[in-house]
Amino acid sequence: MGLRTYIITRIILTIPTLLLLLTAVFLIMRVLPGDPVALHFEKKATPETMEALRHILGLDKPLWQQYLDYVWGVIDIGYMVEHGYPNLGKSMQVTTEDVGGQIFSAFPATLELAIYAIIIAVVIGVLLGVASSKKYNSVPDHIIRGFGIITYAVPIFFLGIILQLIFGVYLRWLPTGLRIAPTVEPPASITGLYTIDSLLEGNLYKFIESVKALLLPSFTLGIILSGVFVRLTRTNMLETLRLEFVTAARARGLKESTVTYRYALRNAFLPVLTMMGLQFALLLGGAVLTETTFSWPGLGRYIVTRINFRDYTAIQGAVVMFGLFVTLVSLVVDILYAYLDPRIRL
Amino acid sequence: MKEENEAKRSILARLIPGFVSLTKHGPSGWMVIIGLVIVVAIVVMTAVAPLVAPHDPIESRVGPIASPPSWQFPMGTTALGQDMLSRILFGGSTMLQVSAISVLICFVIGVPLGLFSSYVGGNLDKTFSLIIDAVYAFPGLVIAIAIAAVLGPGVVNMALSIAVVYIPSYFRIVRSQVLSIKELTYVEAAKSIGAKWHSILFKYVFPNVVPSIVTVATVNFADAVLTAAGLTFIGLGVSVSIPDWGYDLTKGRELLSSGGWWVITFPGVMIILLALGFTFIGEGLSELLNPKLQR
Amino acid sequence: MANRMETIIIVLVLISIVVSAATVYYSTNMLANITALSNQVTSLQDALEAKLASLETTLVVGTTDSVELTLDPAQAYDYFGWNIMQQIGGTLVSVSPGSSTGTDFVAELATAWNASSDLKTWDFTLRPGVYLSDNVEFNASHVKYSFDRAIALIPSIPEGAPAGLGYDLIINHTEVLSTYKVRFVLNFPFAPFLGILATRSSGIVDPKYAPQAQVNYTASSARNSTPLAFVGPYVLSEWNRVAGRDLEIKLDANPNYWNIASGYPKIKHIIFKFYSDSSTLRLAIGAGDVDMAYRQISAIDAQDLETNPNVKVWHGVGTFIQYLCFQTKRAPFNQTKVRVAVAAALNRSTVTETVFLGTASPAYSIIPPGMLGSTEAFSILGDANYTYTKSLLAELGYDETNKLTFDLWYESSGHYPQSDSQALLYKEALEASGVISVTLKNADWASYKLNRDQEIMDAYVYGWYPDYLDPDDYAFLYWASWLHTNYSNSTQVSLYDQARATTNATLRTQLYAQIDEMAAEQCSVVPLFVSTSLAVTKPNVYGVYLDITMDMRYWLISK
Repeated sequence: MGLRTYIITRIILTIPTLLLLLTAVFLIMRVLPGDPVALHFEKKATPETMEALRHILGLDKPLWQQYLDYVWGVIDIGYMVEHGYPNLGKSMQVTTEDVGGQIFSAFPATLELAIYAIIIAVVIGVLLGVASSKKYNSVPDHIIRGFGIITYAVPIFFLGIILQLIFGVYLRWLPTGLRIAPTVEPPASITGLYTIDSLLEGNLYKFIESVKALLLPSFTLGIILSGVFVRLTRTNMLETLRLEFVTAARARGLKESTVTYRYALRNAFLPVLTMMGLQFALLLGGAVLTETTFSWPGLGRYIVTRINFRDYTAIQGAVVMFGLFVTLVSLVVDILYAYLDPRIRL
Repeated sequence: MKEENEAKRSILARLIPGFVSLTKHGPSGWMVIIGLVIVVAIVVMTAVAPLVAPHDPIESRVGPIASPPSWQFPMGTTALGQDMLSRILFGGSTMLQVSAISVLICFVIGVPLGLFSSYVGGNLDKTFSLIIDAVYAFPGLVIAIAIAAVLGPGVVNMALSIAVVYIPSYFRIVRSQVLSIKELTYVEAAKSIGAKWHSILFKYVFPNVVPSIVTVATVNFADAVLTAAGLTFIGLGVSVSIPDWGYDLTKGRELLSSGGWWVITFPGVMIILLALGFTFIGEGLSELLNPKLQR
Repeated sequence: MANRMETIIIVLVLISIVVSAATVYYSTNMLANITALSNQVTSLQDALEAKLASLETTLVVGTTDSVELTLDPAQAYDYFGWNIMQQIGGTLVSVSPGSSTGTDFVAELATAWNASSDLKTWDFTLRPGVYLSDNVEFNASHVKYSFDRAIALIPSIPEGAPAGLGYDLIINHTEVLSTYKVRFVLNFPFAPFLGILATRSSGIVDPKYAPQAQVNYTASSARNSTPLAFVGPYVLSEWNRVAGRDLEIKLDANPNYWNIASGYPKIKHIIFKFYSDSSTLRLAIGAGDVDMAYRQISAIDAQDLETNPNVKVWHGVGTFIQYLCFQTKRAPFNQTKVRVAVAAALNRSTVTETVFLGTASPAYSIIPPGMLGSTEAFSILGDANYTYTKSLLAELGYDETNKLTFDLWYESSGHYPQSDSQALLYKEALEASGVISVTLKNADWASYKLNRDQEIMDAYVYGWYPDYLDPDDYAFLYWASWLHTNYSNSTQVSLYDQARATTNATLRTQLYAQIDEMAAEQCSVVPLFVSTSLAVTKPNVYGVYLDITMDMRYWLISK
């Protein structure tokens, strides 16, 4: 089939995937033991008050109706236009707040973390991978390969805690949590990413403070991810460096660094690019642990805290958001693959 | 035909490792050996812990509260005065159990599902793939959290929640392998002779799929160890009366702000070692079994 | 020759003109520069002095709490929300700072009060000269409006504080007798009514900002974010919140405060900074980023900070109580002897010393020590009283070879402090008797609650924060139906009802003592410990009262 048909088919296929996701979360939530209504009442509560709250939360309606109401709300375009976020219902724990609004204010935090983590991972990974491939089978090569493997085996939160201990407690150079020091007012929210917003505001102090707070969590996540890129770059560089055009370039008398970076790396980089897309999707899930370690107010931590409260709507909304993002990223990656490799379209 | 037979034979030959034969395969072989040594050492350590540990790992106040490593307590004590060394010796059992059970479940469910679905093909395959993709799109840890919250704490429940997250990986790997093998000539030939589908699956297709499954399985082991630690970190771990590395890692955070490093570091290093062991095995095996990458 | 000389002289003159012009120019400029510079220095100095001065009058408080949802007395039920509301709003009466009983009430917006002999009609004389914002004087109509509103909103806010405290069940109606006199008519005799009036849900609202609907956080308008009348020592000047968590709260001294003559508030500005967890907070106070850290500092950190010369650690009493419940509808805890035996084997001090490092104290009554009616009733059972345990259990056929076995449940999602460590130590203490074998089981809070309601747990640890400070809000725990222990005792209940129908302190003390005595004999619910409260400040901070109300009165603090 042609590329265009493939793209359209894949886009259309994301809708049932998302619907399936939504339904699955909806059902899993209802299966969880524990009652969100009961969790509001620490003290004695009469059956009447609990029924009243149940009615306010819409939990007294039959299950299929709750489901339909929810789906109907999600696809309500008018609401989306009016509020800037979809109607994901009201939180069951904080009963007057819109889940959509909460998620849209928590998501940029995760996004900011993910972007910087990926950048760090790719930079470290590619540089080390190139260096390793140049010195094939030497001691540095083995060390770097070892690094690539070890980073995969380290629990994210362990690395995070160790970094917190060294840089936050012993050296006191960097903050151990939050997106910005509590003594600094966050920049006005335009993109939701503190670093970008503080630059847009022209406030260098806030920019530095938000970078300081970002350093530990993004390095934690970035180092863990870099292993994949080290190995990928190394393997691809090894293959590319043996190709004829590289030998030809060398024979023409070009500097070694030019040969490495301008000729070889460019060709080896393509798989890295597609891997970035894949890792980005997985990253969002791994953010849960990082956010918990660093008290980063992102979507991951949001989900974890809301599960405790059996906040059905909040968790449904957050998981669907995650799923949507993952689906979008994998869609882009798949299309890229299909563009490059016609066999996949079958 | 001849090449395929050769490939099968050499794979089989590699799958029956003499320990010595592994060393003849260069650095990849050494990786597998090191990995095996690490894993076996940890398993043995956990097994002999009751005989070797100086103290009861969960007994409180055998030593001073939250004291750093000393001669008496080489790895220090916890906030409840428990001996860290004993806890390290005992603490791997939960993780070993959880990862073993989850790999077993994945294997038993994911592999046959992948084989069947891709071999049959058609709409069945498309439906299964769609469902599996939906599961894949779920942030993995979140599913694990949800299932662990539903089922409650416990080794089997944790294993189950991890398994659900990994089954798609097995499914996909198996499926991609089967799709490429399915069209090979000798499979067609077998079909034309009139061989039944299950004998084709198990005699022809399965053996070629095994190498990739083994690789995925070792990665699965490593990831299960890490996910188990992660679940414990979020509070969905096992009871406090079972010594567990992940539990100590989580609880050790309380000592962090007063500079206490020993309750976190030792369990963390052990977890890394265990995951590393599995990863080495997986890396080594994948390089051995995929000769293209060997240079 | 003469020409050259002339040229030289002309050049020299020109040069000197230029040089002197330049010198004049530069020196005048330099003067201007110096003046400008010195002006800058002076203004910097002024700014610095102003900053220093404001530092003296500004208190930066770090906390891990956050307002849960609103600052609306008709809804708010969380500790931190109530704490903020206390600084900005006012109630008719309040508890005296430093109180240990919780029932020594002092006048706040009411100057005098009396109750009818049947304790069903309560009259209050209000304080004149108190102004809400916009120069409206506080009078009885505001009191009536506040309480009518709270009760009217109960159906739409069933999880709010007035619903939880039972305002609609207690109060029949509120009457305006005159401008400064208001009357409450209750549905039944209720001695602890003053206690209810001292809680934050009895805060007086300003009708201008209090519609007949819940008032929520409104971004960038602190005044519109709460319906409370700003009659307290402070006004809410800034409240920023993102995704359900507070970012910043600023309080400024209230120029219209009715008690401003007293010199309070001493600190004119309070800034709350919100930290994510106790470790980060502890690091902040250790580094001097905040002046005061209150809620939560862990026991280990507190112990570590005691030796730190840069901070001062304050201790006080607490009101959170943790207790052990037994499922009495089936074996083994359907037999009183078994319950008593297990209770006697508990060792409270190991838990309070080892787990809480002294920030909790053993409890021998469900009523916290210091409060009216508190006794040491459960001490007759002893701690780690193994001989007694063994003899009791022997009577029922349990011994070293036939141990008493049961499941002890604890909550594992952090809802109670250190529940897992507690559970481990309880198990150890019980098993040290030699005749008991305990299996620890855990569940996260939501499942734990469900298990409680489904009555599947043999023994389980539970906790209680009071709504109002009166033994009336504690004693009923021994037989509370929602604890699902399936225990009931009509004698205790009638003693309880008698105690809430009289204000005679001696009589009430006797009645509660009797309830405690019976409880120690029956052991349906066994008190374990009472938490204490602690705060950490810089050495130059004074006036931190950690009394039984657990209310932090920021206006009493000075630097």
